[in-house]
Amino acid sequence: MASEELEENLSELQIGENGEKKPVENDVSEGAVKVSCFTEDLQDVTLHFQIVNFSKQIYAWIGCNSAKLGHLYAAATTRPNNNVSVTSLLGSTSDNTGSSIARRIVLKTGLNVVIACNIPKDSPMLEATAERKLVERLASLGYFRPKEKHSN
Amino acid sequence: MESSSNNSLPTQFPVSHKSFSLNIKGNKTDIVICKYDDCFMVMATQIGCMGTILHARKEESVSTDPTFHVAVIFGKRDEPFLVACARQLIEHISSYGSTRPLVLSLGLKDHSPGSMKEIIYAVIENRLW
Repeated sequence: MASEELEENLSELQIGENGEKKPVENDVSEGAVKVSCFTEDLQDVTLHFQIVNFSKQIYAWIGCNSAKLGHLYAAATTRPNNNVSVTSLLGSTSDNTGSSIARRIVLKTGLNVVIACNIPKDSPMLEATAERKLVERLASLGYFRPKEKHSN
Repeated sequence: MESSSNNSLPTQFPVSHKSFSLNIKGNKTDIVICKYDDCFMVMATQIGCMGTILHARKEESVSTDPTFHVAVIFGKRDEPFLVACARQLIEHISSYGSTRPLVLSLGLKDHSPGSMKEIIYAVIENRLW
């Protein structure tokens, strides 16, 4: 038992090349911030995605057939009760395409998000597809909270 | 300074970007510059998140001298050097002939003029306009 505890404690200390201790927690990548770009070709529409991985926040851009920035939204959990709030930063307030995407990403990841989206108004299916593709990529990048195990 | 860009992909992603890191007064600063069809986005962070977001645009006027409008759209509204930084960059963009607005996000530990200048120099050196 003592040796197992010793191994765990030793594994928590990573010795870098210079002999410095590196904390083992959320992987803050050394060097530049990682930018992920990918494109999904649907039947009649091309969706472009760009995700910038900050350590405490996610920025994502969703482009529909064009490379315009579109509407910008910020979403985060707010006090009390950690309910999710969304606000529009850029773009008209009558078109809220993208705000629901932002809200659900916060619910799933627990991080603050800033979403830029130029999906046209009144296209719920396209919005749902874009959200699904974005969520898949965020899952592969390890952003989702682990599901709590229920003990019976 | 490490940098990466996507300017050499065979099927070109429509948004070009540059991502690099530098040390400003002992603070590791990550900078990402993106070029969209209708604007430029610059993100500079020392705190792991976007921080304050500003929007700067050039206003076309009848007179020869352009005027600029800079506004904080998210975050600190009482830091004048953040606004000054956005103003410098939009003027630089304008001097290179582009009328696109700028979305600038600054998540900084240090709001001194010296840090702002270094960020501005680094962005200009790696500009996409």
